[in-house]
Amino acid sequence: MNKILRFFLIIVVSSGILLYAISSLNTSQGYSGGNTLTVYNWGDYIDEDLIAQFEKETGIKVIYETFDSNEAMMTKIQQGGTNYDVAVPSEYTIEKMIQANLLIPLDHSKLPNLKNIDQRFMDLSFDPKNKYSVPYFWGTVGIVYNRKLLPDKEITSWNDLWNPDLKNQILLIDGAREVMGMGLNSLGYSLNDTNKKHLAEAKEKLDLLTPNVKAIVGDEIKMLMANEEASIGLVWSGDASEIMSENEDLDYVVPKEGSNLWFDNMVIPKTAKNVEGAHQFINFMLNAKVAAKNTDYVGYSTPNKQALKYLDEEVVNDERFYPSPELTKKLEVYENLGKRNLSLYNELFLQFKMHPK
Amino acid sequence: MTPWAKLFLVIIFLILYAPIFFLIFYSFNSGETMYDFESFSLKWYKELFHDTRLLIIVLNTIVLALLAALFSTIIGVLGALAIYMAKRRQTKNLLLSFNNVLIVSPDVIIGASFLILFTMAGIKLGFSSVLLSHIAFSIPIVVLMVLPKLSEMSPSLIDAARDLGASSWNVMSKVIIPYISSGIFAGFFMALTYSLDDFAVTFFVTGNGFSTLSVEIYSLARRGISLNINALSAILFLFTMLLVVIYYFITQRTKLNGMGVRKR
Repeated sequence: MNKILRFFLIIVVSSGILLYAISSLNTSQGYSGGNTLTVYNWGDYIDEDLIAQFEKETGIKVIYETFDSNEAMMTKIQQGGTNYDVAVPSEYTIEKMIQANLLIPLDHSKLPNLKNIDQRFMDLSFDPKNKYSVPYFWGTVGIVYNRKLLPDKEITSWNDLWNPDLKNQILLIDGAREVMGMGLNSLGYSLNDTNKKHLAEAKEKLDLLTPNVKAIVGDEIKMLMANEEASIGLVWSGDASEIMSENEDLDYVVPKEGSNLWFDNMVIPKTAKNVEGAHQFINFMLNAKVAAKNTDYVGYSTPNKQALKYLDEEVVNDERFYPSPELTKKLEVYENLGKRNLSLYNELFLQFKMHPK
Repeated sequence: MTPWAKLFLVIIFLILYAPIFFLIFYSFNSGETMYDFESFSLKWYKELFHDTRLLIIVLNTIVLALLAALFSTIIGVLGALAIYMAKRRQTKNLLLSFNNVLIVSPDVIIGASFLILFTMAGIKLGFSSVLLSHIAFSIPIVVLMVLPKLSEMSPSLIDAARDLGASSWNVMSKVIIPYISSGIFAGFFMALTYSLDDFAVTFFVTGNGFSTLSVEIYSLARRGISLNINALSAILFLFTMLLVVIYYFITQRTKLNGMGVRKR
């Protein structure tokens, strides 16, 4: 009995010492002081040097945490018990978060750098007048293809994918909006079309694509494309730029019929403890030089017009990631179509997935 | 064992351990990738130890495991005693089944249900919520480790102690607990390893500002492959090995002590 009691006592004492060590470490690092800011962002989606710079300029200690899907992030914020000050959701999630009353309206007077943002990317349907969010990065949905495996093919439009030569060559990302959007765009309809006849048409057209489709996959599409498992992939531009830096034979194109335009925006969730600091952080990220440095690191397209001056011309003039104004006009943001239309999209996408090859 | 059986054993162990050693091997790579070993270096380990945030997480994990193991051992031993002393056979079986259901039910379900419970009860997600859930899922294991020791104990020991005038407390502290002490230690170390390597439950119930090693490794891995994950996993592996060795010595020692009442 004594032996056990002694053992337990040792455990209690050593845990006490460890707890003390943790709390003193926390204090020395500034994690538990009053002046902290918790940023909740996608993994590897910021240049960490900028966080250090922000800390130096403002004296606020940043606690940086990451998530890997919009849904996971929204759940963590929704169920409470957390205190994230800044989060970076995608546009369709922002719409949902506004509806669920999870965001704090931004005080534009505290964000003077907002003027740096290209007017094209302001006041969009998912957040009128940017009441709750400001753009962080943007991108498109397009086709990534392997020049080495397709030496004499030029891919410029969605309809090129229906070429019978491409049998078993295409990987699709597993998203109802993305794939249905491809069908709708190839017919010249809008991505947000809710006309049942148009949608049925798009689905029929997609069915004809099945011989060419090798697989419908998730995030592993990046690895599969980089390893040349297939020659064509339907991907987001951010993923495309990432795998293009891994495999030089890959190229990216935004189809000429038009495509989707997506945004990741900075917001302040209801759970924020340091609203003042959150505004400072957002304003800091909107600074032209900071945004340029961040863009250099992340490789996505920046909405910051002033930042373009500080970027390599080669990057800014790359029409694959900064599409020309004519093409940009054809790009559409996903609108919230409501539950019923969305389930129609999902239903048709499911039918397409089950279509016999 | 026939040579074939030995060969089979070797192959199986190779298959089981090869991925772990592969991972550890590349943690000593001076290069950046897992397919090209450039030269031996400890730079990833250095990088790890310079990262105070990670150090805090390691300490968090250890404290959490120690405390969870401690509390679950205390509660688990009481539970095992209760099951042992249950008069009716049916009650005993029923209690034991309730205990076992908790062991076999998937971590994900336990984690999700704790998340719902904590949110409803208004407990802030963080250290305390993780600690509570770790204690909870470790208790059944302790019960299972202690119970065989109790059933192995001859009831005549207790009768003899009572005949010699021992009070209930004396019987407990001088006869039963010393007899089952090896089971208690074994339960403690099992609970410790369970808490150390738990991912699913922690992932659900942790809030911001608190993270354990397994959750951190997961989020590092999501960010892309960097070899400091290898270094971290290597350290975690060694630590678990250490626990296994300690556990081994404890069981060895009780074997040497033999059976019966301890001499003192």
